[in-house]
Amino acid sequence: MRLPRVLFVTGKGGTGKSTVAAALAIALSRRRPTTLADLDRRLSAAAALGARPEDSITVKVTDSLEVIALTPRAELEAFIERIVPIRAISRRMLRSRTFGYVTAALPGLEAFLLLERLRIMAGDAALLDRYLVIDAPASGSAVELLSVSAGVKGIAPAGTLNRLAHSVATFLADATRFGAVVTMTPEDLAVREALETTAAMRERLGIVTVAAIINCVPDPLFDASELAALSALGGHAHLAVRRNAAHQQAAVAAARFAAAGIPTFSLPMMFTAAMGAGEVEILGRVLDAEMFDR
Amino acid sequence: MKPKAVPLKPSAHPKQPAHPESFDLRSPSLVICLGPGGVGKTTISAALAVHAAVIGRAADVMTVDPAPRLLDALGLAADSSEPVEVPLEGIRHARRGGGAGRARLRALRLDPKRTFDSIVARYARSDAARDTILENRIYRNLSGALAGVADYMAMEKLLELAADPLTDLLVLDTPPAAEALDFLDAPRRLLELLNSRAAVLLGAPGGLFRSQLRLVDIAARAVLAAFDRVTGLNLLGDIQSFVRSFDGMYEGFSARAASAQDKLRAPDTAIVVVTTAESSRIAQAREFIAALERAGLRVAAMVVNRVLAELPDAAELSSARIAPSVRKKLKRNLADYAALRTREQVSLSVLRNSLPAGAVLMVAPELGREPRTIADLAEIGQSLRPG
Repeated sequence: MRLPRVLFVTGKGGTGKSTVAAALAIALSRRRPTTLADLDRRLSAAAALGARPEDSITVKVTDSLEVIALTPRAELEAFIERIVPIRAISRRMLRSRTFGYVTAALPGLEAFLLLERLRIMAGDAALLDRYLVIDAPASGSAVELLSVSAGVKGIAPAGTLNRLAHSVATFLADATRFGAVVTMTPEDLAVREALETTAAMRERLGIVTVAAIINCVPDPLFDASELAALSALGGHAHLAVRRNAAHQQAAVAAARFAAAGIPTFSLPMMFTAAMGAGEVEILGRVLDAEMFDR
Repeated sequence: MKPKAVPLKPSAHPKQPAHPESFDLRSPSLVICLGPGGVGKTTISAALAVHAAVIGRAADVMTVDPAPRLLDALGLAADSSEPVEVPLEGIRHARRGGGAGRARLRALRLDPKRTFDSIVARYARSDAARDTILENRIYRNLSGALAGVADYMAMEKLLELAADPLTDLLVLDTPPAAEALDFLDAPRRLLELLNSRAAVLLGAPGGLFRSQLRLVDIAARAVLAAFDRVTGLNLLGDIQSFVRSFDGMYEGFSARAASAQDKLRAPDTAIVVVTTAESSRIAQAREFIAALERAGLRVAAMVVNRVLAELPDAAELSSARIAPSVRKKLKRNLADYAALRTREQVSLSVLRNSLPAGAVLMVAPELGREPRTIADLAEIGQSLRPG
C-alpha cells in the first residue's frame, strides 16, 4: 500500500496507541528509513523500542530506525531563543516563572509551534525519503492539537502567523504528505471513538485517515458448534466465549472502517506474561506483513 | 444479581492504620478521582456515588466529558450543568429497603465555559467590566482552550456543591491529566496568570510591584511585543485590557483558590487515584501518587479498574465430557488468559509495594460489558474489593 511520509497515530487512551506507533515504526523501517517522533511526555513509544531520547535529540534504534522526543515546551524555547537574541536573557527568561505568562497569554502558541515543527520535519522526510511516525496524544487532545492552526488563522486574519497557519493547515490536509492512523481495541467505546475521531479530522480539518489498526485481537480458537457444546462448563465456557466475542467485535469494527473506505489492520493479542521489546518487534513484523504483503 | 455484604466497610479504628482494610465510603464528604486518561475514571466516580447512595448517603457526582452511554445511565442531557436527580428505585429494592431516608443520587456535568462566565459575573465590579471581559478575545480563547481552565472551574463548582447542607458526599470525576497536579494545582496557576506580577509584565497600570520590574519581565514583554509585530496580531492590547479588567477581582479569586486548597487537605476529603493494571498506566499512577505526596496531599485509595475476573479451575477440564480436540483448545485458552493474569498480578504487586501509608488498594473486576445503566454502576460499586 502507498502511504504518506508522515503518519499521525492517535486513538482512545488505553488502546495501546504507543505500542502500535512503535510497531508501525518497526514495520515501516523494514521498507525505508523511519523516524518515530514521540509527543508523549512519558515517551512510551520510545520506551517500547528500548530508547530514552532527550528533548529534540535523535536516538538511533537500528540502522533504519531512529527516535526523537518532541515537546511543545522545547519548541517554545526554540522560538523564544530565536526571538530574544541575547542568550543570557532568553536563558534566564526560560527559567523564570514569568515565562509561564507568555504561554498563558497566547493560548495555543506552544501547540502551534509543535505543528510547524512537524511540517518542517515532513519536508525533510520527503527530501531524505524517510517515514515519520508520530506518537500523538490520545484522540480528544489530538484533534485539539490539530485544530490549533485553524484557531490561529481565526485570531490572526493577516500577517506572518496567518501565512504560517495557512501552510500548516494545507500540509495537514494534503493526503500525499500527511495521514492519520487511528488505533482501537475490539471494544464498543474504543471503536466508536476511533470512528468519531476519523470523522472529526476529516470534516473539520480535511485530514485523511490512511489506516485503522485494531490492537489486541485474539485468534478465535473455537468454532460456533464447539462453543454451543460448552455451555455446561461454566467459567471455561465464559472464557471461550469472551475470546471469540473479542475476535468477532474486531471483525465488525474492520467492516465498519472498510465501509468508510479506510484500510484496516489487526494486531494479535499477545498472550504473554510480560510485554517487552520482543513482543513489540513481533507486532511490527505482523503489521509489516499485513500492510505490504496482503 | 444477588446483593452481598457491603464490601466497602468502615475501618475498625478512626485512626488510620498503616494500610486500612478497605476504602470507607461512609465517612468522606468529598471524593476526588484522579488518574490518567482511558482508565475508566468517570465510570469509577459514578460507581462510587451510586454505591454511596445504596448504603444510604445523599451523594452528588460531577462528571467531566462522560461517554454517551454513561450520560444516559445517569439520565444526563448534554447540557446538565446543574444537578439532576437520578432515580434509584430498582437498586434500592435490591437492597431490601436498606439505607437511611437521606439516600439519594444527583449527577451533573461540568461546563467549564459556563462556570467561568458565572464566576466572572460574580466578581466583576460592574456590568460593564463583566461585559468587557466576556467579550475580550483573550478571555474567549482562555475560557475555551487553555488547559487548566476546565480544572479550575471543576474546583470552583466543587466548592459550590460541597457547601450544600443536604449533600453528604460529593464525588468528583476529573479531566484526564498527564500529571496529577494539573488538576489540583489549577487555581494557583490561574491566579499566577492574573496576579500583580503578570499585570506588571503585561503593562497594566498601578501594580503593587511595579518597582520590581526585572530584566526577565522586560524581556518577556519584548517577546510579546516582537511576536505581535512579526505576526500582526495586535494581541498585546487585548491582553492588557483583559488583565486590567480583572483588576479588583483578584481578591475574590484568591479567596476561592485558598478555600479549594483547604478543602483538598480536609480530613474528610478522600483522594482516589484510578488506574488499570496495564504496566504503563501503573507507572503513570505511581508518578501521580509521588506528586501528590510531594504536594502534601494524602491518597486514600488506589482503584485498579477492569482487572480480570478469577480464572476457572484447570482440573474441571480433565473430568469434563468433551471432545479431546476441544479439551486441548480450552487448556490453551486457559493458559493464554493465565498469562495475562500473571502480567496483571505483577503490576498489582508493584502497586501494592509502593502504596503510600494510609492508602488502600482496591480492585474493580471487569464488568464484561460497557456500563449502560445505574444497575451496572451499582454492580461495579458493589464488586469493588481490597486487592
